[in-house]
Amino acid sequence: MFMRSLKIGIVCPYSWDTPGGVGNHIRDLAEFLISAGHDVSVLAPVNDEYQLPSYVVNAGKPISIPYNGAVARILFGPVAFARVRQWISSGDFDLLHLHEPAIPSIALLACWAADGPMVGTFHAAAKHQKIIFAIGPILEPAIEKLSARIAVSEAARLTLTNHLDTDAVVIPNGIYASHYAHGIAQTKWQGNTIGFIGRFEEPRKGLSLLIAALPAIAAFAPDVKVFVAGPGDPSEILKEIDPQFRHHFEFLGKITEEEKKDFMSSVALYVAPNTGGESFGIILAEALAGGACVVASDIPAFADLLGQGRYGALFPSENSTELAKVIIELLQDCDKRLKLAVAGKLRAQKFDWKVVAEQIYSVYEMSIVGSEKVKLASDTRSWNRFLSKEDKQ
Amino acid sequence: MRYWVLSVFLLLISLWYLSFMASRLDRLHHRVETSWANLDALLQKRAAVALEIAHSDIADPASSMLLTSAAYQARDAQIQNRSQAESGLSGALGLLLEDARHLETAADNALLTELSALTDKIRVAIAMHTEAVSRTQMVRKKAIVRTFRLAGSAPLPVTYEFEADVL
Repeated sequence: MFMRSLKIGIVCPYSWDTPGGVGNHIRDLAEFLISAGHDVSVLAPVNDEYQLPSYVVNAGKPISIPYNGAVARILFGPVAFARVRQWISSGDFDLLHLHEPAIPSIALLACWAADGPMVGTFHAAAKHQKIIFAIGPILEPAIEKLSARIAVSEAARLTLTNHLDTDAVVIPNGIYASHYAHGIAQTKWQGNTIGFIGRFEEPRKGLSLLIAALPAIAAFAPDVKVFVAGPGDPSEILKEIDPQFRHHFEFLGKITEEEKKDFMSSVALYVAPNTGGESFGIILAEALAGGACVVASDIPAFADLLGQGRYGALFPSENSTELAKVIIELLQDCDKRLKLAVAGKLRAQKFDWKVVAEQIYSVYEMSIVGSEKVKLASDTRSWNRFLSKEDKQ
Repeated sequence: MRYWVLSVFLLLISLWYLSFMASRLDRLHHRVETSWANLDALLQKRAAVALEIAHSDIADPASSMLLTSAAYQARDAQIQNRSQAESGLSGALGLLLEDARHLETAADNALLTELSALTDKIRVAIAMHTEAVSRTQMVRKKAIVRTFRLAGSAPLPVTYEFEADVL
């Protein structure tokens, strides 16, 4: 599948040492490309140089700014720009892959500074990105330089067409599906159990909806257990729960990758009641790959990932009564649950890195057709060419 | 004196802007050309695979004839009739694939997988090309580009009408 070894430069806009969807995606992609024999260099802001993988190049310390309902650790400014230019000119890349080039970050700086084959991946999906809307005319000439645009989901693509008036190819985020396919069912998590993974303290993850739905569920299934995994302090959340129902909840804290795959293979239902701010939903893909039956809110990214309900059950977002109804129905109907889980597991193969990386690579291939290597844009400008000719004489 | 400095400054700025727009347009034209070259190569490859399928056991004599003529038409089409011819080939392939699903043999299976991989790539190539074309058309509509004839003698790229759903 991989015909020619390429020198690929990937730019990560967010801090490398802060875990997040985009960072994980870039790490997996870089490692997959390296294992396929390509030469990959990732430029990223880094807080702590300790334990940096060999393929990551430090672009400087990130600063924290509020963005899209969360805190983004990104980097820009003249010093960063100089480093980006230096990285491009010394890298001798066949192609640059820029992530999230529409936000002010080193990815945008790289897009500005470079000339040649470039691919951009857009991760964010947001209804109102006023900042982007306002600086659109400035962004346009930069974004235009990308030879191909990738959106990670239909929702991200819509955001792009609405705000920047440009189209993109949809290529989903990748997971290692085979890794999740071999989870071992643990009896402690089996039975009438509901799983939830995520930073439960963030309201947009929607744990409070599940809490609100629980009394109705417990009335039908008195032995129902909810396992909540993820980093955070459960004491605040526990206060929110009626003491009568507290014993239904168990907080597991942060779980390892190994535990996660067993978790997904064990629980009767995996519930994702997120209220928004998701552009893909990688955790749902992982849950499907692990063979869990998924119940999710019908926000665009999730509805899209679950095939409008063919690969997992959907409920109207922010509606706990409907959530309870869907959960009760599935807990009672074992056949339906199994059917959804089987369909979901098949669906998850579409997100396997083998499939996803091949799609990304074919976009790479198409972008480099008929183009030279990546250069600094300033080197190719006519007056600079003119000047350097003068120098040589 | 001050007006003089100001006007020189403004002149420099507008010269810079003109050169910026010209290089932006040049880059877009380059993108249109490379994406078209790309799409063209993939379509040629598809026609070749279609011919191979026509000569294999997958196709019965009637659909083999249909496919062969569609493939040759797509290959020889002039640029104006190209999209129509390619859509014709897509249609012929679609008809055949509908049937072939029931009687796949191992050897022919390789051809069909190649075709479906090609189809996926063509879909991406079309998206890349139409995007480049519509961008270029948009920039060329700008008043500054038209007044100063920044596009030079480059022809206005035409949108390639592709019925993506037949692919």
